[in-house]
Amino acid sequence: MSLEIKVQRPAGNQNPGVITFQLAGSLNTATAPELERQLSVVLAEPIKDIVFDLAQLKFITSAGLRVFAATRKTLKERGGQASFVNLQPQIETVFDVIKSLPGVSIYQDTGALDSYLALLQSGHFKP
Amino acid sequence: MAMVLELQATPAEVMRGVEAMQEFAAKQGVPEKMIFGLALALEECGSNIVNHALKRDTQRKFRVIIERAGDLFSIELRDDGPEFDPTAAAPRKSQAEDDDLPGGWGIELVRRKMDEVHYERKGKENILRLTKRVSLSADEEK
Repeated sequence: MSLEIKVQRPAGNQNPGVITFQLAGSLNTATAPELERQLSVVLAEPIKDIVFDLAQLKFITSAGLRVFAATRKTLKERGGQASFVNLQPQIETVFDVIKSLPGVSIYQDTGALDSYLALLQSGHFKP
Repeated sequence: MAMVLELQATPAEVMRGVEAMQEFAAKQGVPEKMIFGLALALEECGSNIVNHALKRDTQRKFRVIIERAGDLFSIELRDDGPEFDPTAAAPRKSQAEDDDLPGGWGIELVRRKMDEVHYERKGKENILRLTKRVSLSADEEK
């Protein structure tokens, strides 16, 4: 199973500085390098927040966790965070390893994430 | 019922092995949630062999023997790389901390998903055997 990566940039001035990665398929040793490559392009910009929408992610291994952990470290150093939304139950069991890391936030659904993004946009929230 | 795979030392071949195992397990009636854990364990251990023991040398191969015997499902990985016992790694804390290095998560995930992880060195081979009992109800699966 391959990994499909869609990068969504905010339209207009909606949540400026927040980029969403939609991942579908399998994030493993074979596919993690491509995600790493696409993230490095985005992280070359002064981005502070990245949202990973994992609704369509079916499989993940420690190779994927390592990419996420490295990303959250970079964002945390910039005063931002990595957010994860729509984790499927099996993916959540793997995420258990990194979910407590500072700079990692997991949202059950898009509604909960939207509330966070609204706070972020209003300037009343500091990760 | 058993299946033997011979895989080249590449990440793509590891995933070919994972997909073959998933198909085999589904035909054996193994519950889907449990297949996820088996696939994760095989990917982690296979990747470890490819990346560290065989150094991604595409001329080299390793073997995976997958077997369902009664209520036991086993995955045996055999490689001729340098002696290495992944089970000797100290268990990690239950969750990562800020300054943790990212290594070691793979074997931790394998331990969580499998009932038994056994290593032995026989001749010039590393033999890693992963075992999972498949008679549990869906609620008990991890």
